[in-house]
Amino acid sequence: MHYPFWYVPGLTAPMLIAIVAVAHILVASYAVGGGFFLAIEVRHAYRTGNHAYLEYLRGHAWFFILLTEVLGAITGVGIWWAIGLASPLPTSYLINTFVFGWGMEYVTFIVEIVSAFLFFYLWGKVPALVHQRIGFIYAWSAWLSLVIITGITSFMLQPGAWQGNFWLAMANPQALPQIMARTGASLLLATLYVYLHASFRAKPAGMREMIAKRAGRPAMLGAALITVGGLLWLALLPPSALMAIEGAATLNILVALIFVISGTLFAMFYFGAYRNPSWLSPGFAIVLLAMGFMVTGAGEFVREAVRKPFVIYGEVYSHNLMTAQVKPAQTEGFLQTGVWTRHHVTREFPSVMDESGRVVSARLLELSLPDKVRVGETLYHHHCGSCHALSGYSGLRGLLRGRDREMLRGLIANMDRYHFLMPPWSGTAEEAEVLKEYLATIALPHPFRNGGTVRRPSGPARVDAGDRSHTGG
Amino acid sequence: MDEFPLAPPSAGGNPAPLWFLVFFKTLGFALHMGPMHVWFAGLALAAVLSMAGYGHARRLARRLVSAMPVFIALGVNFGIVPLLFVQVAYYPVIYPANILMGWFWFSVIPLLMLAYYGVYYYAVSIRRDRVGPLAIVAGVVSAACFLAIGFIFTNNFALMTNHEQMLAIYDRTSVAGAVTGLALNADDPTVLPRWLMVLGLAMTTTAVFVMADAALIAKRETADYRAWARRFSLVLQLVGSAWFAAFGSWYLFGTLAPATLAAARADLAITVLMALTAVGPALTFAALWMASRSGEARWVWAAVAAQFVVLALNAVSRQWVQNVELARFFDPARLPVDTQMSPLIAFLVTFTVGIAIIVWMVRQAVVALRAQKA
Repeated sequence: MHYPFWYVPGLTAPMLIAIVAVAHILVASYAVGGGFFLAIEVRHAYRTGNHAYLEYLRGHAWFFILLTEVLGAITGVGIWWAIGLASPLPTSYLINTFVFGWGMEYVTFIVEIVSAFLFFYLWGKVPALVHQRIGFIYAWSAWLSLVIITGITSFMLQPGAWQGNFWLAMANPQALPQIMARTGASLLLATLYVYLHASFRAKPAGMREMIAKRAGRPAMLGAALITVGGLLWLALLPPSALMAIEGAATLNILVALIFVISGTLFAMFYFGAYRNPSWLSPGFAIVLLAMGFMVTGAGEFVREAVRKPFVIYGEVYSHNLMTAQVKPAQTEGFLQTGVWTRHHVTREFPSVMDESGRVVSARLLELSLPDKVRVGETLYHHHCGSCHALSGYSGLRGLLRGRDREMLRGLIANMDRYHFLMPPWSGTAEEAEVLKEYLATIALPHPFRNGGTVRRPSGPARVDAGDRSHTGG
Repeated sequence: MDEFPLAPPSAGGNPAPLWFLVFFKTLGFALHMGPMHVWFAGLALAAVLSMAGYGHARRLARRLVSAMPVFIALGVNFGIVPLLFVQVAYYPVIYPANILMGWFWFSVIPLLMLAYYGVYYYAVSIRRDRVGPLAIVAGVVSAACFLAIGFIFTNNFALMTNHEQMLAIYDRTSVAGAVTGLALNADDPTVLPRWLMVLGLAMTTTAVFVMADAALIAKRETADYRAWARRFSLVLQLVGSAWFAAFGSWYLFGTLAPATLAAARADLAITVLMALTAVGPALTFAALWMASRSGEARWVWAAVAAQFVVLALNAVSRQWVQNVELARFFDPARLPVDTQMSPLIAFLVTFTVGIAIIVWMVRQAVVALRAQKA
């Protein structure tokens, strides 16, 4: 539309964001919760004069840096990369709105990086008090980074009555619930990482058990924060987001999975590692962390999915169009409104352009059928391609299986009514016609129609689906 | 030539005046260049010295690699600043450039990850004194990744200011109006000399690090090694300067549009800026020469300061060239501005507090290390 569209076959470009973002969250949560763990435990070790524990924590800090300052930091940058490629318009909108928020977050991040390295490299070289202070500087700057970023990402789900005001945007209705839930998730996930590391590296067994017990406490606080934050999140969701959870089978299943796995995880953690620290073993720790990953990944997927049909709720649609631009696109044409689509049509189909260089939608109907299909393919990419691959993730070929032209025409004209998770059709009636022609060429045949048959595996019985439909069977 | 399809201005307008955005973009880039240069040229140098060098040369390779994790962390994070501000002020051109070479641009992330972990593996092997062939391979792969990342960046930023090339790539590689993201900006004649020119400048920055390391940090090394490293620093700086001059001349006089050069000649301030950018490395060499002869710390610091000036001049010159090239089809000054005053002030306050905290931490570190030595 206003930017070139990047075609990622089988996956869609926004799914690259999801992959990078989930990887980032899994590590970044540890960067926050693990920071508090290290700061608090180093203080405890100094106060109790437990040199063996201090030495263990030094090894843990190295593991922590290797994971968070490399994988965590680079996947964080990777989100920037991916969103700019997959959703340039909403990215630009967010950056222009929140540039100083990101600037502040960046400062906290630099403090985080410097303090992390100093905390590790100055181990045993600076007085205990200075070392502890640096540890807490790290922990609080990492948490502040979480607060600022969550303010921005929660804005995408529900901007609230911000009216262009930066501070109101940061204080959107979803900010506090999500900050609570993310803080909780950071504490809980950090404990699971600590368990993993301790199960391999903490020796003797007495120290491992002490770690299991001590690291369990922030996890309990984390679980409480997740519960309260999650309930508030649910209570303050926009109505359409609640409907999305009800209406999409995948989301139903994921939400159920989140509850089931969280409950199991908490029970295993509480009755296992926390109440019976001697149970902590590498296998047990790996299972706990894997379950933590599953819950976090599913939670992130749900959090992203309930925003549909928007990328930024009420502001930018998932097909990279501002909400205010839909009406003009419906009147003047989708191809004409988008600068790159217009460039493409000008070059490939000059016959549909008028003297002033505008796309005349009515002329699309004068094209040959193959050319209509080609223009339709362009419309598919720009209008539908952010959410639907052809085959693969949310693949249109399968979703449209068996739809004839008449059904496709109705679907395009009323896509937001067929399913409210889709944006409204944002082109002219003529553009809908050429998109229909393209979709008709890619839709797979209905399994029970068009001469299709169903064979029972064991017998010769043959059902002619076409006949059955006539009899209402 | 078709008119370039510029995206319409962002709904809310730019959150700060253009000068503010460009100032932070340029400052951030100057800060990014220091550590970035050390990994860009330094790691390649370490890879060569690890494989082909012996004695002091191999020792230097190990010292370079040991310092690399911190340089990478700082360089990557300083690099976020210019990228943030370039997206604020130049969004109608930066996003198309990114998307047109989508897969290459996206590959920067896995390449960086691979390079970073490779460096860590090598650095840890050195710390444990167990440098085997695998560690050297990791170093070589990391160096190759960083060189590739540099090449992709050069492609991207050259593409951003070249609207003819953006349209050509779009028309050539799009399928039904959708971009495959499989193109590099290889047809642009400025790309190769620009990438090589940066490599030369990176050698000069690495030379300053080698000198600073030998004179200020490597106290536990033998006097023989430190004297050798100081001499090596001078040679590296000379080679880097010559390389920078050769490829910089190719870039400037062989590939830049005549109109850009004419614009530079027409403005005395820009002519002086360009001349200073060209001769800047000589200033660093002079300071390094003094540091090498006298062994005094103040000359080492003078070399560090001189190199920062060189990098800052380079960043300002590049910004000017970018402005001129973009002016052919895009004027960022025409984008609407709606200054977010209170968030801007909050950012500046946070920035100041952040710097103060970092200074405090570094000071604590310096005091502690001095006390330890005493």
